[in-house]
Amino acid sequence: MDAFLIQLLTGLAGASSLFLVAAGLTVIFGVTRVVNFSHGSLFMLGAFIAWSVLTRLPREPGWHVAGVLIAALATAGIGALLEMGLLRRIYRAPELLQLLATFGVVLMVQDLALLIWGPNDLSLPRPPWLRGFVRIAEQQFPLYDLILIGIAPLMLVALWLLFTHTRWGTLVRAATQDRDMLAALGVDQRLLFTSVFALGAGLAGLGGALALPDGSANLQMDMSVITDAFVVVVVGGMGSLPGAYLAALLIALLQTFGIVLLPKATLVLMFVVMASVLVVRPHGLLGRAQVPTRGEAHAYALIRPATPALRTLGAAALALALAAPLLVGPFWLSVLTEALIAMLFAASLHAMMGPGGMISFGHAAWFGIGAYAAALAARGLAVPMPVGLLLGPLLAGVVALAFGWFVVRLSGIYLAMLTLAFAQIVWAVVFQSDITGGDNGVLGVWPDAWARDPRVFYLVALVLCVGGTLALRRVLFSPFGYALRAARDAPERAEAIGLFPTGLRMAAFCLAGTAAGLAGAVGAYSKGSVFPSTISIGRSVDALLMVLLGGVQTMAGPVVGALAYTGLYDVLIRATDLWRLVLGAAIVALVLAFPQGIAGAASRVVRDDAA
Amino acid sequence: MLEVIDLHSRYGRAHILQGVFFAAAAGEVLVLLGRNGAGKSTTLKSIIGLVRPSAGRVVFDGVDVAGWEPYRIARAGLGYVPEDRRIFSDLTVAENLLVGRQKARFGLAPWTEARLFALFPNLADLYRRPAGQMSGGEQQMLTIARTLMGNPRCILLDEPSEGLAPVIAEQMAHAILALKAEGVTVVLAEQNLHFAARVADRAAVIETGRTIWSGAMAALREDAALRAAHLHL
Repeated sequence: MDAFLIQLLTGLAGASSLFLVAAGLTVIFGVTRVVNFSHGSLFMLGAFIAWSVLTRLPREPGWHVAGVLIAALATAGIGALLEMGLLRRIYRAPELLQLLATFGVVLMVQDLALLIWGPNDLSLPRPPWLRGFVRIAEQQFPLYDLILIGIAPLMLVALWLLFTHTRWGTLVRAATQDRDMLAALGVDQRLLFTSVFALGAGLAGLGGALALPDGSANLQMDMSVITDAFVVVVVGGMGSLPGAYLAALLIALLQTFGIVLLPKATLVLMFVVMASVLVVRPHGLLGRAQVPTRGEAHAYALIRPATPALRTLGAAALALALAAPLLVGPFWLSVLTEALIAMLFAASLHAMMGPGGMISFGHAAWFGIGAYAAALAARGLAVPMPVGLLLGPLLAGVVALAFGWFVVRLSGIYLAMLTLAFAQIVWAVVFQSDITGGDNGVLGVWPDAWARDPRVFYLVALVLCVGGTLALRRVLFSPFGYALRAARDAPERAEAIGLFPTGLRMAAFCLAGTAAGLAGAVGAYSKGSVFPSTISIGRSVDALLMVLLGGVQTMAGPVVGALAYTGLYDVLIRATDLWRLVLGAAIVALVLAFPQGIAGAASRVVRDDAA
Repeated sequence: MLEVIDLHSRYGRAHILQGVFFAAAAGEVLVLLGRNGAGKSTTLKSIIGLVRPSAGRVVFDGVDVAGWEPYRIARAGLGYVPEDRRIFSDLTVAENLLVGRQKARFGLAPWTEARLFALFPNLADLYRRPAGQMSGGEQQMLTIARTLMGNPRCILLDEPSEGLAPVIAEQMAHAILALKAEGVTVVLAEQNLHFAARVADRAAVIETGRTIWSGAMAALREDAALRAAHLHL
């Protein structure tokens, strides 16, 4: 059998389990409007549970099918518990907070899976029937791949029948349009949402269990699968099952053939395809414009200037920060420097997310471009530090302007995914280019002699990061900031009074990129080195976590969130091996306790007292 | 059947309802009259639970349902037809009706599709049509039919005549009287006094979130001075 056909079959087989995960994700999103970051974790759990079950069962085909179904049902059960215990309590919270909560779950599941199944990849010994071949037209075809290839279209038809030909499915479709009306017609949404979430989780679990014989259950699969599944869902069009199937085929084939044809570009290929699709079709291949579900909380809280009490607190914190070089040693100064950088990074993301209404899953790109620009200028061109600190934000701003042209035309989750795609492209370029040193990064980026004293550098960082954050704040309370918020809340009306929403969003995007670039440049000199991991998805998620933890609709939010997150992270990573579990649980607990974010909740308390 | 006692509701800090009272007896048609923004829609939403009342009682068939989840209130036998129709536009007429279906429990003759099509003949021809592709009047009929599929004992109609052509409004009035004949209690919010007079037995006039007058519709219809005093229409 020729290599092409083998690749084709492998690709198609991979598409099946990808489709199942993406179908679950899209169904959950359609009804609950929750972007379920933990969907990859459910897939991983499906694979691990399948391993545990299948290694204990006789290795006959019938038992194998039973084991796979048990794993899918168990994952569905876990999904139902997750919905009842966590998501149900926060449906009315801002949608980004739900994202944050599900990310907390991702962290918890990582450590729980490590505790239960250990750190090693677990592969399934394949009995003869699983390794069998089928002869078709003089060719040998691997049986299991053929089975997998058949399952996806079968599931597509089954799901389509479920949603169009049962009352449950009809209720689910009605819920995607108007939840409140559905409730007023006597439908208990909690039951509906729990069952939808269980179905989605079950599909993810099924995908994981089916993929097990071709690979292994491991602790890395959650993040890799969730990224692929997001890409599939977005390329296919949110909420469209046939779209998800098409996109799963496309992405899976791209991955398998990419490895053969363009081994260096595989990483970036998927995201280039996604970016192209979104530029041409802003709602994915088969998606439709996303209308807000009625009965969902989508009004933005008003951003108000800080209360006098908060200003006093801020001034006191600043005074303390200025005095820090006299109070603490070099180690804590470097910790504080990192916190300052995180603060500016988070504030820059907040500027586009809160007042701009544009969520970014790829904000690390700007931070990374700023860091690399400064580092390469310092190492390659031997420019003094102030020039490097200027070049970083400048280059980030220019690139943001170019990418922004595509990005600001989209909205919601599509926009977020395009930012992720661009960040991945930047990452891949940096990772594979010789100029940037590839995986080795850029080393030996040290501040100029005058700033080499940690106390002096700390003060430089303090001035730049606090200055940058305050400048962002100033801009957002200027007429431009008000216009930006008007364009976010009511684009048509904003246009009718003579504003230009696309331009405003573009400016906000560029501003956010520039500020993040400054944070990155300071970070490069602070650390003395830059690596591709600066632009990783994890880094973008860190920024999201900081902003969401603090609360999107308060100006103090990103500041509080960044300090809380870096503090929590530093303390935890020192204190326990299970820091993911503790951090995840802390995030989940914070979301449940403060659905408006920490700073949001605090400002509410202060204002209610004042009222 | 449905008694509302000193109902208060707020949107944030705005105190919308500041004391609404009325009582609809079983099988009668009661109309809430009042100008735009008087609080008629909010009253109906507060009864069905889409707005959670901040104070007051909603006694339905002897049980205070104020503060319940909307789906429980609906299952207790209260139907709600919103003013802006809120049909499920991606679903067909048949599917919209399926979504509304609840078991018949209250000794009234259960609604079937056939009976609903007798009441709203236009819907029968549109059975497989996506609801989003129907005219406003047809959507208004569908939204009432959908609520009736839940077999309510009492139905809340928010401005059923709004924006309808006179012929269609007349059909609507006919349908409301047919519901009454079936024994269904009807509470409707209206601005159109003429339409109200055509269908209602009793009226309650609401202004700035308070009931300022209630009594027989006939009294309001015949007494121009009373109308001038309370409605300023």
